[in-house]
Amino acid sequence: MMKDVYELLNEMDINENEFEEMEVSEIERAKVKRALRNAITPRKKRWTRNTAAAVLAAGLSVIMLGMTFPAYANSIPGIDNIFRLLGSERSGLFDHYKTYSSEMNLAEKESGITITINDALFDGETVFLTYALESDQDLGVNPTLHGLLDIKGANGLAGSNQLTRVGHNKYVGLVTGTGFGGEVDSKTANVKWSIDSIVNQDGKAAITGDWHFALKLMATESMTQQINRSTEHNGVTVQVDKLSVTPMSFILYFNQAVDQKLREQWEAVDVGIKVKDNLGHRYTGQGNGGAGDKEGYNMNWSKTFEALDPNASQLIITPLLSLYDYTSENHGSMEMTRDGSVEEASKERVKAKSRQEYVLEDIVIDLRK
Amino acid sequence: MRVNENNFIQRLQRKKEDALEFVIDTYLPLIKGVTHKVLAPLENDGMIEECINDIFISVWNNASKFTGGPVDFRKWICAVAKFKSIDYYRKASKKVEVISHTAAELQYGISAEDELMIRENKRELVHFINLLEPIDRNIFVMKFFLGLNTEEIGRELGLTRASVDNRIYRGKKRLYNKVNPGGHI
Repeated sequence: MMKDVYELLNEMDINENEFEEMEVSEIERAKVKRALRNAITPRKKRWTRNTAAAVLAAGLSVIMLGMTFPAYANSIPGIDNIFRLLGSERSGLFDHYKTYSSEMNLAEKESGITITINDALFDGETVFLTYALESDQDLGVNPTLHGLLDIKGANGLAGSNQLTRVGHNKYVGLVTGTGFGGEVDSKTANVKWSIDSIVNQDGKAAITGDWHFALKLMATESMTQQINRSTEHNGVTVQVDKLSVTPMSFILYFNQAVDQKLREQWEAVDVGIKVKDNLGHRYTGQGNGGAGDKEGYNMNWSKTFEALDPNASQLIITPLLSLYDYTSENHGSMEMTRDGSVEEASKERVKAKSRQEYVLEDIVIDLRK
Repeated sequence: MRVNENNFIQRLQRKKEDALEFVIDTYLPLIKGVTHKVLAPLENDGMIEECINDIFISVWNNASKFTGGPVDFRKWICAVAKFKSIDYYRKASKKVEVISHTAAELQYGISAEDELMIRENKRELVHFINLLEPIDRNIFVMKFFLGLNTEEIGRELGLTRASVDNRIYRGKKRLYNKVNPGGHI
């Protein structure tokens, strides 16, 4: 039987004394584990959250972020700027967040678990809270927090929460939330975050409690430029509405509209954007989710990128179009309501043509100085 | 059941994530050592990080192909790490003119022709290696996948340099004739 490289290597009796170990820090270890966990876990599914006033579809990808934590500086050694640490995987997306965030140090202890919000930041669109979690019992590799982040005035919210183990019974994480609809204020965010249970993914029982935080955040300074430029492909119109520049990031707001003919052909249409500047620098960014009609064909999105190069004079935006049909592989949904009930539904249909992707014509914008 | 040094291989092969975590905890210092030794001259920390992640992903994806106990596993993961690091090194050398073929050749005894063949005909190379008798098979894996030079190979296998060189020469001749019939080296 034909052997592949890994089997051939298995047969080698190499002298492993030729290899020397190198010292590895806890941070490096955590970083490798996180990268691996990402690589081996299937892509996050589409989630919807239902609220009284609006149905929102949120294209959600998990942000991984961590935190700095002065109060825990002794117990989580070496971790002084996790914004930077965890952002490095995303080409420095969060490099400057620490500088513009506010130190919170709000701690809540319940059922032997202390959750402390360390830094908070509101960029006018999205709230970022970094937190540390310290437990008197093992919570496994990948515990999840159950609860809701709420922004006053929003009809719905898209967001993410990721927790990373950094030591024995110690975790750091980041929760983000972007509010939609209603009376969302872009200058101030009144945020409530309540957690009612923590679930150990390794199969043990949930730990219940009432960790509750309320905070008011002022938005970082920002400058907004109206863009209103669009490009069209095969029944899909993508329009870039506006650009908001903050000291640590920039946010692009864009929307998609899908015509009737294409709706009949495909169950879902998603638009993403890739961005570079005229100096050739590519920005990685992180989608904030979006809101739109119930079917998800006409959607408003926003995406946050790392700090803009001050020398750049143009942004080149490349819209990417994905057309797909739902299969059990790529689709499942969960509805979460304010009273905490959760319903899960997934489609089990599998079709032959399940996905097509297109690159649309670039939209080039001159940056206002 | 908790993962430990006795059951981690089995759990890894059954795609239990805690086994992967165990492997990272246990072998990261070693893997870091192997990759740094090969890739440090390129002065690209991002590439080293990427390579380390890639090694663990490959171990995760190919665990089912591994047979043996913990001691063999240690050897295997070292071999995979060396193989991946050399692969990254070659790809980078191809991009960066300054450390072009000559450097790769000097350091790892890989000539430009060899490299071209590794890049374009990896499948044929693996197939060809499968046809060799055990001793030549070891020599070829060490040379092409682990980047060992003639002297190191000789040391590993208890052969003289001349004997290793001779076997490589004969093997390569057969290989190039196979990959590129009618061509010559």
